[in-house]
Amino acid sequence: MSLRIPIERHRLDNGLKVVLSPDRTVPVVAVNLWYGVGSRNEAPGKTGFAHLFEHMMFQGSAHVPKNRHFELIEKAGGTLNATTWFDRTNYFDTVPSHELDLALWLEADRMGWMLPAMSQEKLDNQRDVVKNEKRQRYDNQPYGDWAERLQKLMYPQDHPYHHTVIGSMEDIDAATLEDVEQFFKTYYIPNNAVLTVAGDFDSKDALEAVDRYFGEIASGAPIPSIPGRLDLEPKLGKTARDHVISEVPLPRLIMAFRTPPFSADDFSVSEVCQALLGMGRAARLHRRLVRERRIAKGVVSFQFPLLTGASMLLTWATGYPDTDLEALESALAEEIEGLRGAEQAEVDRAIALAETDFVHALENVASRADQLSMFELFFDDPGRVNTMLDRLRAVTVDQIRAFAGEHFGPDNRAVLAYEPAAEGDQ
Amino acid sequence: MSAFDRTFPPPSGPIRDFDFPEVDRRRLSNGLDLRVARVARLPVVSVRLFMRSGESALDVDRSGLCVLTANALDGGTRKRSGTELAESLERIGARFGANGGWEGTSASLYCLADRLAEALPLLAEAVTEPGFPEEEVARAKEQHLAGLRQRKMDPGSAAHDAALSRYFADGIPYARSDHGTEQSIGGMTADHLHGYADANYRPEDGGLIVIGDVDAAEVAELAERCFSGWTGSPASVADFEVVPAARERRVLVVHRPGSVQSEVRVGHVGTDRLTPDYFALSVANMVLGGMFTSRLNLNLRERNGFTYGVRSRFGFRSRPGPFEVATAVGNEVTPAAVREILNEVEGIASRGPTEEEVASARDFAAGIFGLQLETVGQIASRASQLVIFGLADDYYHEYRRRMREVTTEDAADAARRHMRPHEAQVVVVGDADVVGPPLEELGLGPFEVSREVRGGQPET
Repeated sequence: MSLRIPIERHRLDNGLKVVLSPDRTVPVVAVNLWYGVGSRNEAPGKTGFAHLFEHMMFQGSAHVPKNRHFELIEKAGGTLNATTWFDRTNYFDTVPSHELDLALWLEADRMGWMLPAMSQEKLDNQRDVVKNEKRQRYDNQPYGDWAERLQKLMYPQDHPYHHTVIGSMEDIDAATLEDVEQFFKTYYIPNNAVLTVAGDFDSKDALEAVDRYFGEIASGAPIPSIPGRLDLEPKLGKTARDHVISEVPLPRLIMAFRTPPFSADDFSVSEVCQALLGMGRAARLHRRLVRERRIAKGVVSFQFPLLTGASMLLTWATGYPDTDLEALESALAEEIEGLRGAEQAEVDRAIALAETDFVHALENVASRADQLSMFELFFDDPGRVNTMLDRLRAVTVDQIRAFAGEHFGPDNRAVLAYEPAAEGDQ
Repeated sequence: MSAFDRTFPPPSGPIRDFDFPEVDRRRLSNGLDLRVARVARLPVVSVRLFMRSGESALDVDRSGLCVLTANALDGGTRKRSGTELAESLERIGARFGANGGWEGTSASLYCLADRLAEALPLLAEAVTEPGFPEEEVARAKEQHLAGLRQRKMDPGSAAHDAALSRYFADGIPYARSDHGTEQSIGGMTADHLHGYADANYRPEDGGLIVIGDVDAAEVAELAERCFSGWTGSPASVADFEVVPAARERRVLVVHRPGSVQSEVRVGHVGTDRLTPDYFALSVANMVLGGMFTSRLNLNLRERNGFTYGVRSRFGFRSRPGPFEVATAVGNEVTPAAVREILNEVEGIASRGPTEEEVASARDFAAGIFGLQLETVGQIASRASQLVIFGLADDYYHEYRRRMREVTTEDAADAARRHMRPHEAQVVVVGDADVVGPPLEELGLGPFEVSREVRGGQPET
């Protein structure tokens, strides 16, 4: 199966990269912006700021009062949101195609003219919202601090991935309007962004509209280098451990490995390894730990594909109330190390599922646009969308076996164990 | 470049309308209602097999059996083990799943269209010839019980489950979570699952929905082959009237020591999916808490910063499900947030939404409807709703027109009749020592604290 989605690349005079991917089959269009800034750009004492700033981007701009962005998009029958991650921040609107100009105008207004709308009141309001987001998603959740703990095990103190995207309450409290202004001027510039439009539009009209709305935004200086020490040993050099006794319902063992950066040639090998472990119910972890040995209630594997120094491959197994964490750890390790004996049949199954998932991801224009923005921003090559599957298909069993031998040993592991606090310990 | 005025939003372009795809409907020889729509954007297909045998039809001793049985379908068939079933599906890149719920059981499949001829027989085999081997059933049961334990300690799930028993009278299925209880699940064996599937996984009164790059006649022929010999109707039939637990406002705090936030639910018995007020009430609910720019979200989040977000919704089921406002708020602002929620429900119930709010909400609903028909899975989900609730074949063709016809008066009238702040049950899962006293001081109604024993039953 080979699918090719159309891709056109442009660059405005101010440096804004533009990717267009027309598809007239349904009257829906996605407008998607990736800014080259994330939590890795945060200076010490400013953790969580990239995300707090993302919230401020929804507080209005020179020609758009507070709440109006939401009101206009919702009234148009559209959806919108944004997310902040280690290496980037993305903003996305999906609207009926006759409202494409509205979405472009709104995104341009905040890229160009956000600061006049900022106020202390808005900052204080969104600071409270973000603190409640932190409580809801992390602090008040069983296992909610796992990412914070794991990142500390995996990345050294002075590395930009040592701290979480949500940041610390203290740093969120300390954020000022001046920080907002500085951050905006430094990172929210057209030459640090990619704009993708995917879906139902005419390319010529869309490009004209993009130029009309974004063209006069001034470009900025090259963005400053990422703070901290960026280079990492390819391997952790040990098994780093954290054992937590807390109010969790079931024991859980999280095991993670340093893997090559997203941009490395062998990142695709890592992706296939992850699929062999956790993609589908015939995959190793589910088959062995959940179905056959019944030592885990559930298993998960996924990647943090990251640019700076090293990515992270994660697995976790959630036990039953009486599961012994040490037994869970050796069971998990055994299956992961077992990839040194990976077989062609399981690789074939993983590729077959990846093909289905690939087409599924293309089904909606929002996810199509998001991938195009990502590949343009990170690799200057949105066409990677069309070669993604080929890169996975090219991975051989020998490569997988060698990769497993190299990366999944005890000299490259972070192990985070959650043990339920004893009954009555509350 | 032509001059333009950046200070105003640009005008809309010409609308390109589009319709729900045409559905080919036919009945298989065993009575199964087959609905196929050709959507050929991409070479994929989404399948749903709905069987009307749901948690609503189970008494409390057997609660969770429908959900557990569906979960255990991945344990294999009479012809192949669980692992063999998974391998057979995944070898051809097919994603398979099965879920039980209030209305019934739904098995689903997603694969490349040219794999359907191999994948559909596997779905049929999983559902009509389940094996339920002892060890797989034991595994599904352990997983289910562990899941119940997780629900108890997850503040959002705990709040949801506690709230249901405050909205619905004892003994009404909706008063419990559809996951069952430790007692009911604990007593189940492979025989129970076999018995349940045998009696209830039946074609009559259900439906098979196939949406994607397929030909209706070919699908019909394939389905006829896959499901031949499978006959009958489900034995378990829901038979109950919904009764509210209380007609007065009451407050329950479920103690969760050390919580840094309160999970708040405010609600009562709502209405059913076939209510003639569906469109008007949906619009009223969007204004209250069904979109980002709803009254609740603009108040609690964007004005007061009490929360990351707040939503209200009607659980439209074949019988009246819950109407509920749900949010998570900081400890110190918990009483203020509860007060604001009740004020907003009171405001919309007594004075209705404004003309402008109604216009925004119905434009949102009508517009978003199109956005939600992009994927074959989304279309299949919509088509399933037609089967589950017996909606007319042209229902989705009329959907946007009917949504756009809702008037301010219609929405106000629906809000007045279906949102009743004075009967609302307030449930808070949080640190009762911190948020309990100030909540009690609000004097909203009878006040109760439940001090839960972790992993066990609540003691009140």
